[in-house]
Amino acid sequence: MSNYIGKSVKRREDDRFITGKGTYTDDISLPGMTHLAFVRSPYAHAKIKSINTKAATSHPGVVAVFTGEDCGNFGVPCGWQVNFKNGDTMKEPPHPLLAVGKARHVGENVAAVIAETLQDARDAAELVEVDYEELPAVTDANAAIQAGAPLVHDDIPNNTVFDFEIGNPKPDVDAAIDSSSHVTKLNFRNQRLAPNAIEPRSYIADYDVTVDKYTLYTSTQNPHLIRLLMCAFVLGLPEHKVRVISKDVGGGFGSKIYHYTEEALVTWASKEIGRPIKWTSDRSEAFLTDAHGRDYVTTAEMGFDKDGKITALRVHSEANLGAYLSTFSTACPTYLHGTLAQGCYTTPLINIDITATFTNTNPVDAYRGAGRPEMTYLIEHLMDTAALEMKKDAAELRKINFIPAFDGVNEPGYQTQVALQYDSGNYQATLDRALEMVDYDQFRKDQEASRKNGKLLGIGFSTYIEACGIAPSAVVGSLGARAGLYESAHVRVQPTGKVSVFTGSHSHGQGHETSYAQFVADKLGIPMEDVDIIHGDTNEVAFGMGTYGSRSLAVGGSAIIKSLDKIIEKGAKIAAHKLEAAEEDLEYGEGKWAVKGTDKSIAFGDVSLTAYVPHDYPEGLEPGLDFSSFYDPTNFTYPFGAHIAVVEVDKDTGKVDLKRFIACDDVGNVINPMIVDGQIHGGVAQGVGQALLEGVAYDENGQMISGSYMDYAMPRADDFPFFETDRKVTPCPHNPLGVKGAGEAGTIGSTPAVANAVMDAISHLGVKDIQMPLTPERVWRAMNT
Amino acid sequence: MIIQGKYPVSASSQDVWNQLMDPEVLKRITPGISDLTPLGEDEYQAFSTIKIGPVKGNFKGQLKMKDKVENAAATIVIDQKSQIGNVSAEIRMQLNNIGNATEIDYEGNAKLSGKLAMMGQRIIGGVVSTLSKQFFKALDKEINHN
Amino acid sequence: MQIKVKVNGKEHISDVTPMQSLAAYLREELQLTGTHIGCDTSSCGSCTIIVNGKAVKSCTLLAAQVDGDEITTIEGLAQNGEMHPLQSAFKENHGLQCGFCTPGMIMTAVNLLEDNPKPSEEEIRHGLEGNFCRCTGYHNIVKSIQHAADSMK
Repeated sequence: MSNYIGKSVKRREDDRFITGKGTYTDDISLPGMTHLAFVRSPYAHAKIKSINTKAATSHPGVVAVFTGEDCGNFGVPCGWQVNFKNGDTMKEPPHPLLAVGKARHVGENVAAVIAETLQDARDAAELVEVDYEELPAVTDANAAIQAGAPLVHDDIPNNTVFDFEIGNPKPDVDAAIDSSSHVTKLNFRNQRLAPNAIEPRSYIADYDVTVDKYTLYTSTQNPHLIRLLMCAFVLGLPEHKVRVISKDVGGGFGSKIYHYTEEALVTWASKEIGRPIKWTSDRSEAFLTDAHGRDYVTTAEMGFDKDGKITALRVHSEANLGAYLSTFSTACPTYLHGTLAQGCYTTPLINIDITATFTNTNPVDAYRGAGRPEMTYLIEHLMDTAALEMKKDAAELRKINFIPAFDGVNEPGYQTQVALQYDSGNYQATLDRALEMVDYDQFRKDQEASRKNGKLLGIGFSTYIEACGIAPSAVVGSLGARAGLYESAHVRVQPTGKVSVFTGSHSHGQGHETSYAQFVADKLGIPMEDVDIIHGDTNEVAFGMGTYGSRSLAVGGSAIIKSLDKIIEKGAKIAAHKLEAAEEDLEYGEGKWAVKGTDKSIAFGDVSLTAYVPHDYPEGLEPGLDFSSFYDPTNFTYPFGAHIAVVEVDKDTGKVDLKRFIACDDVGNVINPMIVDGQIHGGVAQGVGQALLEGVAYDENGQMISGSYMDYAMPRADDFPFFETDRKVTPCPHNPLGVKGAGEAGTIGSTPAVANAVMDAISHLGVKDIQMPLTPERVWRAMNT
Repeated sequence: MIIQGKYPVSASSQDVWNQLMDPEVLKRITPGISDLTPLGEDEYQAFSTIKIGPVKGNFKGQLKMKDKVENAAATIVIDQKSQIGNVSAEIRMQLNNIGNATEIDYEGNAKLSGKLAMMGQRIIGGVVSTLSKQFFKALDKEINHN
Repeated sequence: MQIKVKVNGKEHISDVTPMQSLAAYLREELQLTGTHIGCDTSSCGSCTIIVNGKAVKSCTLLAAQVDGDEITTIEGLAQNGEMHPLQSAFKENHGLQCGFCTPGMIMTAVNLLEDNPKPSEEEIRHGLEGNFCRCTGYHNIVKSIQHAADSMK
């Protein structure tokens, strides 16, 4: 029976947030705490000839000044190894905590100044004199691989991290493209974005000499991963001597997954000075150093036969990974991007060819969607462009190319041309519902009428699929992941029947404390108030991989279910003993074990108490009711959906007004509809932001010229209408909750819908394609040239 | 960033030249400059304070004159450093006689770095044009009011 | 220098440095960490508080500027354990996710509804221009404010 699952239970975490009682890392203050300020490179590429720290060291309040020479051997690792096509290992240069010899992007840490107050640290940081010799820089992924381009790392030829290919043999794909009756070709840039979690990154390290232990408070999405990487790969610390605590986290969107140099530096320095140290990024530093997202230069071609059936897809992209390899940077253009090229279509032949490059820019890594928004934009923008070119209806073109519905139980999963096997899907259903919501036939009539009145209305589609809950560990391991991708859960039933759940996934806004408690309470048949969800502390939670890639419920939730199953199974032994019945005659439900067909039963709380006060107890059974589990999924999950954008373009200014946004998503079973809707809303807003507003810009010398909220267009409340959402449910066949993940769907689906709507509005004026973001200037220029 | 423009000064090219080559004059007419100390022939150490939009910096560095063609042309090489970022620029000035007046035709390239580039780039074009005008206006005044 | 300021109904006499921002003063001296700092250009609005009845961004005011003033922060919004209608509306309508922008959003909305008790959707969206949220797409924030406006009638 479901008392909570499927209900929009209000979030329990909100009570602390709406009263200002949340605890974000920067809210924490420790006795004797010092403050750290970084000296950052003003150049994109420069030789560091000398650093003079004398004046800074003697500034009042300064405790210590460190440079790359002091911690030169420490560097942060990349978490995923991708090999070249020829089998060679990818190029993975050291990523030092403080620059050594050369600075390779604007904002790179060059020195660290620690002082009694933040003001002292910042003032003293300005006194550090660095003698640079500026070198030519390269910022563009395509320019970086051209002959004669400046080398970001002197010993890495062509600035190439690796090259990568996935899909069918290229000659087969070439032949299919050549013999297609229509080929749609696009050259575009999927622009670089700044994630912009509103809480800036913040770290506090506290080394306690009396017990030789470190505590790191960090604004991370995955505390255990940070501890593992920092201990095993960076500082060589014994893991049991390091506690990582991540309390409330103010948004992440991927940018707080990675182990950053600042995090390790603060931890290392805390032992050096024997005092706690805090560093909190300011917004300028966040723009310069929080791992960016996207940044692909792409040529994509899609072939069609005379009926509009897709014959082949051929893609070549250069992916810009920045100056160093961030934790999951290498997985993004490859196993999270190339593997999604099937989309939800029956494309028989696909070849994806990627070159990943170093440039003199901030590292790029997973940002909400991670590789999948880029591939979705590519496929879905090709689809609408092809429909315009072939004068076909964009919705119809999709219908004739969709993979037919399959539930993954009675019908098998769908084997793609690019390695993945989809679990279950019904793509037509979400599109049909979205078309109904937008009233498509009426829209086309309105559009026609409005054109006569000089208005430019447009509609754009995106029928996306994505891959979440990346796993299983053995498979990702064989593809180069340097970590497992399972999740752990520990469920401790207290003697009074109250339940503490410890999860390795870690909310940074998703509401785990509520939605996890909902399904735990339902599974045990107890009130939600009796369930507490604990996360974000390596001393409390045994292990975990954190929250990213829309994995929490699908992977973390499943691990909890495993522990709950063990509790019910052991509880049955105790219940059978107490009820003097056979274990197989018992059934569990509504918070009690009952003897089938009788009114004899024993409540969950009584069994719990018996487990801890085992006076009258089954012989040979251990006391206690407390189980840990690890869940390693058998496959990814594959949410999908249909997004439709309706825009009006201002003829005189080029401004795009988003009139309506319709999203019909299928994320499998839903625990808390309110929270899932919220995830879709936020995701859509970020996707619309990419389509219309956002972009990180570097000038020709590698200086970032979009480094503040006055220069980087963040989406605001008045950029959006209310979103219109609905859902279809195709359960995931391979996890116990049947859930697929909802965190990234909105972002993945929405960007191409908006870009396509703009093209639909203005293509009759002869406009071919416009590069994102579709700012008024770009749209106006496209309409007026 | 490209810097270019023209400015007419009502004086002969020789007068203009003499003023431009005099460090004391340069010190007086260059906006924001607080000290200019000769380091060698045509080479100076310069200190200046410049505010560009939201950022303000105390700059320190070198200023050089090169490729001089007397009364006709010279190139200024600026290399200024500050905590808010560095500026390096190379600007060629041509002095063209037009009747009794001289038209100063300048063209060059400037590179910014650090906060200056990040926060200032948006408005730097306007600032450079204002500073250049101030400079030439002061030069004009220097010649015609002394 | 010394300032006298009334924060959430309680008077404080504090020594502040000339450089100290009001946000830093509230967070560090008074431990009122519900006021958040999300940027350094007074763009994001996370630090919004009410000074003498007006919503202001506390990151760009100096503590020294509020001598003699009356301040309400998110911690002082609930009265006698009773949530302000906007606080309840944000929870009821899922107007927050990570919660970081929430105090600033709520304080801005308090001021918005005081100035305009029956705002249209457009007026609400316009009124929130100075506050960034990266999680919600603003959808449920606007809904929350609409619901609060209805409940405060």
